Amino acid sequence: MDTLYITKKDWDSFIKGKVEICSIFAPFEYERRLFYNRVSPDIEKDIVYNRVRTVEPLKMFFAPFKERVVPEVQEIPEIVIMGVTACDINGLKIMDRVFIGDDYKDPNYANRREKTLIISSDCLSPYTTCFCELVGIHPYPLDGFDLNISVFEEGVLVDIGSDKGRSFIGEDQKFFQASKEQINKREQNRKKISERIKESNRDFDLGNITTKLKGAYQTELWKLPKDIENCVQCGSCTNNCPSCVCFLLEDTGTQDTMKKVKVWDSCLFPGYARMAAGVSPRPTLYDRYANRLLCKYWYIVENYGKTGCTGCGRCIDGCPGKIDKRKILTEVLREKSAINR
Amino acid sequence: MENIYRPIRCEVKDIITESPTIKTVVLKPKEEFSFLAGQFASLTVPGVGEAPFTPSSSPYDKEKLEFTVMRTGRVTDAIHNLKKGDIVGVRGPYGKPYPLEHYKGKEILLVGGGVGLAPIRALFLALMETISNYKRIVFCCGARTPDDYIYKEMILDKWHNLCEEYPLCFRITVDKKNEEWKYGEGVVTKTLDGLDIDIKNSVAVVCGPPIMMKFTTLKLLEIGYREEQIYLSMERKMYCAVGQCRHCLIGDLFVCKDGPVFTYDQIKDKPNIWA
Repeated sequence: MDTLYITKKDWDSFIKGKVEICSIFAPFEYERRLFYNRVSPDIEKDIVYNRVRTVEPLKMFFAPFKERVVPEVQEIPEIVIMGVTACDINGLKIMDRVFIGDDYKDPNYANRREKTLIISSDCLSPYTTCFCELVGIHPYPLDGFDLNISVFEEGVLVDIGSDKGRSFIGEDQKFFQASKEQINKREQNRKKISERIKESNRDFDLGNITTKLKGAYQTELWKLPKDIENCVQCGSCTNNCPSCVCFLLEDTGTQDTMKKVKVWDSCLFPGYARMAAGVSPRPTLYDRYANRLLCKYWYIVENYGKTGCTGCGRCIDGCPGKIDKRKILTEVLREKSAINR
Repeated sequence: MENIYRPIRCEVKDIITESPTIKTVVLKPKEEFSFLAGQFASLTVPGVGEAPFTPSSSPYDKEKLEFTVMRTGRVTDAIHNLKKGDIVGVRGPYGKPYPLEHYKGKEILLVGGGVGLAPIRALFLALMETISNYKRIVFCCGARTPDDYIYKEMILDKWHNLCEEYPLCFRITVDKKNEEWKYGEGVVTKTLDGLDIDIKNSVAVVCGPPIMMKFTTLKLLEIGYREEQIYLSMERKMYCAVGQCRHCLIGDLFVCKDGPVFTYDQIKDKPNIWA
């Protein structure tokens, strides 16, 4: 991959120039957490590069909470999203497989993907709830972006991930080929962060999780971790998840103009799988909780060849029942292997 | 890009009352629509909602499209309240059809219960178009009471009359009969007793309420059918019908695109399949 170098000062003025001509969204700090905001010239200096994931998942840009799909949205603007972390890049890969990876393509999603440029960045200050390394994802993106930036005190390394990314930089003379030394130094930094994430997750074991979870349907098994009973079925984990894609369709039209609206749904809601006659294949909270994790670590793997969990930890941070999925999984896997033995 | 959620407009041509809780809506699509037996479509009642149904009309009939619907909830209520001339939406077809190429030369056992006769009817009509391809059709039908029987005239008259002409036979039952009923009594699995069928060279196609499918499957296994010879029509909550919304998953299988028809060996180890 082509990696360029630019001084931090020149990068700032490069972005300043871009803010004048494109619609850019980037992470900003608000009450010690990061949120995406539209970059305007007066706040451009406050963009937070390379810290950690934002509170909102990236999916809200591509599949908003509620939107019309019939007729499809006509005016989709071209935007640039900066500061996307590796966990969300991996979530986007799942979304791509779901919404445009098959014969049936979601028109709004396809359109938005087409019109969005993604500038990802390394994560340098992961939360204690972050666990990407446990699911085989590093805290720095290696693909799936148009540009990736790693910001240091003295400058910025820019990886070119696509032609779209290359033309965003264009013929700007302030970018130079990055030196081997600069790239090596970044490697060392990256390794340190990876190690830090592994260290903060040393109490959890999600090794071979897909193989181990296969067949773990039994309601009784999921009653063993005590914390699950604290689930209030609010849907926070699914709404905050960068790869939870479930939605429902509502009909709001008339016989003359049919309209359909797509709204996020959550498999934790009791009505999610309930059929017309009132029967549900997942009648208890334990079945529904199990389903979410089985979906993440098993079904999605069968469907799309990669795990559905990106280790971003939003489901842990956002849970009003303070349920730590890592703990639940560690317990369930331990119980299951005890049963199998 | 074609919008995958846009339904085709269809005019309601007729509403047939099949039983106190079941009606058949006859539709005339305003654009071309075709399907293969076993595939389903999403039927939209504008402003109310959308639900998946397998058409009950012949896949060979290009003029009209029929859905037989039991009244069980919000959308099916609205379907029952449709009037001639109303406009509804249909999108599809979705899912995999019955693999008729695998049924060639075989004895085909059809087992339908209640409103589950709807997709079986479409399959039966398709099989009759190419009846010389198959050795024989044994059609087992069940319903709770004689009043609950759908397609009564067809099953008891028109189709029955075909038995002399074609390699075809019917085994008809109700759970509870009344005075006028001159056919069998007992649950539909009872019709599988004493079947003179070459099971090795046969397939069984089952559609009905979950409890009926469960016990029919167990009975079929008991009389010697192998798991992969039993074709089951599965039903789940569904919205998108194109493998995206994830509501219809049975374990890792999508009812909408991997099904809706599965052989028993495909799903037997999945969670709560008879819900």
